[in-house]
Amino acid sequence: MATLEYENIFKSFGDVQVISDVSLTIPHGSFTVFVGPSGCGKSTLLRLTAGLEDVSSGKLKIDGRDVTEERPTARGIAMVFQSYALYPHMNVADNIGFGLKMAKMPKDERRRKVAEAAEVLQLTPLLARKPGELSGGQRQRVAIGRAIVRQPKVFLFDEPLSNLDAALRTQMRVELAQLHTRLGATMIYVTHDQVEAMTLADRIVVLSNGRIEQVGTPLELYSSPRTIFVAGFIGSPKMNLFSGPVAEAAGAQTYGIRPEHIDVMREGGEWKGTVQFVERLGSDTFLHVDADKIGRMIVRAIGDADFRGGENISLAPRPGFRHLFGKDGVAIQEA
Amino acid sequence: MASLRRMHRDGKLAPIFIFLPPALVLFTIFVIWPILNAANFSMYKWSGYGELTNFVGADNFRRLLRHSIFHQSLWNSWKLILASLFLQIPLAMTMALLIYRKTSVNTAFRLIFFAPYILAEVATGLIWSFIFDGDYGVTAQITRFLGMDQLYILADKRYAFLTIITVIVWKYFGYHMMIFIAALQSVPSDLIEAAEIDGASPWRIIWHVKLPLISHAIKLSAFFAIVGALQVFDIILPLTNGGPSNSTHSLVSYLYYFGLVQLNVGYGSAVGVCLFFLCVITAFGYKRLAIGKGAGL
Ligand SMILES: Nc1ncnc2c1ncn2[C@@H]1O[C@H](COP(=O)(O)OP(=O)(O)OP(=O)(O)O)[C@@H](O)[C@H]1O
Ligand SMILES: [Mg+2]
Repeated sequence: MATLEYENIFKSFGDVQVISDVSLTIPHGSFTVFVGPSGCGKSTLLRLTAGLEDVSSGKLKIDGRDVTEERPTARGIAMVFQSYALYPHMNVADNIGFGLKMAKMPKDERRRKVAEAAEVLQLTPLLARKPGELSGGQRQRVAIGRAIVRQPKVFLFDEPLSNLDAALRTQMRVELAQLHTRLGATMIYVTHDQVEAMTLADRIVVLSNGRIEQVGTPLELYSSPRTIFVAGFIGSPKMNLFSGPVAEAAGAQTYGIRPEHIDVMREGGEWKGTVQFVERLGSDTFLHVDADKIGRMIVRAIGDADFRGGENISLAPRPGFRHLFGKDGVAIQEA
Repeated sequence: MASLRRMHRDGKLAPIFIFLPPALVLFTIFVIWPILNAANFSMYKWSGYGELTNFVGADNFRRLLRHSIFHQSLWNSWKLILASLFLQIPLAMTMALLIYRKTSVNTAFRLIFFAPYILAEVATGLIWSFIFDGDYGVTAQITRFLGMDQLYILADKRYAFLTIITVIVWKYFGYHMMIFIAALQSVPSDLIEAAEIDGASPWRIIWHVKLPLISHAIKLSAFFAIVGALQVFDIILPLTNGGPSNSTHSLVSYLYYFGLVQLNVGYGSAVGVCLFFLCVITAFGYKRLAIGKGAGL
């Protein structure tokens, strides 16, 4: 059991307000991802959760118990750092077992638990090595091993995959997801990579400038972003956002539509445009189109669609998939 | 040959030819030559003036080994080594751990603790000899205030060398503290945070994380402390000048007093040769024992 409740958390470093009025509940057993652009305060919020920084005001409760003033140890959390933060002078076994040693667990039991964790993470052959003799992915696993042996109530991850190459990142992403299923523990995961957020999370918290923009499941954020910021941040490629006549016609300040919600045809669509540039990924083709009286937009055509730069095409936004935002940047609910 | 050609291509050969000869010449003139000279002198009875005529073989060394004041000096130097290792370095480490974080207060403390190191040895000795002066110094004022008898610390066999040790620790711990501060500041903060999260108390973080991570600095510092202790000299002269009754000589001040002051340059050279071997053995032994392979010194 571990439910986290943030109540009106503020944090400033000197004059700089980094976290403003964050209130949030993270249910037990969820995989929650904090996502947002660089410098928005994700790491800070995580470090506040861990107790590595003190809040300026507000309360943090774990399982209903106020832990705002408690030391990191007393909170029952484990953290995996972006830099891994492995102790370079200890071998893998000692790195993993360090927390248990600090908890004064007897040596035999400790060795057994370390062996168990190593087994889970396929680290058994590496137990005698020093971190300096491991690859990036192996170090990452040791860092995770160090977190899981202590059986914490909450796992905190700060961009744990950002130092890995793309293939390894995908693999570790799957391993993390499996780990979450197996342990059933509450996990909080920080990333600025929205693909990572979409694939791992069962709940995403989008942060911008130290404030929560929106909380929801990946699909909720995708299908009904509450603000322009979330609309632009979630989804790849980004949602097309226009102001001007199209928006005014719909009675909004900003009109948004995702590239995958526009159908491309030779003629007969609602909008006309000229293809400027074509990106072919094999499974998809992304067309960068200059639409008349609207502006530059990205459109997805499925498969290896046969369009060329300079070609005149016609576009049809699918009804029901547009997003409208008012002057304040907040979504307008359409009936 | 191939490697020579490769060095040439990589531009590594030219620097060797340009920089090595002057260094070798200087090293020979100022290090090798004096040592060989001293080794030669040590086999003569010679006052330092006139011809080297009175060859005595190993007599100087035999005399040295029987001289009780030499034994005392050797013992004193050993005590200085122990004090440097087991008082000075722990003290330096404690202070470093207290003030290594970058704040303005810490910077002020750092300056204060480092200041004695900048002070010239002779000046340090003079200052402390005034402080310990039983008639006019700070000691005198204290004893007078407490209504005690006058206390001549530096003239008392029981306290004199202890006082010298204290002054030396006071003077040099700031230097080691600075080495430790620099090393501690390079310990990544996320390692310390990870240990905090792992449930380590501040003490155990120091013991299990900080100290192991700066072990190279500790070893280096210990090395300087040992070599420095073997070289202690100019602080002793103004404090006790080796007294009372020659009980506070270090090896070097022994050499100075019984070799140069008493015009036994041959004898002094013998002491010098012994000191040289002591230093060489210490340096190489230490490198082998503590520094080990890989870690450069
Ligand atoms: N110790 C500190 N002192 C002063 N300012 C800080 C400190 N730590 C963070 N900040 C500031 O707080 C803001 C948020 O930092 P934070 O590290 O939480 O960002 P982030 O969302 O994790 O970014 P990134 O994706 O780049 O890691 C930044 O503007 C940063 O400059
Ligand atoms: Mg960060």
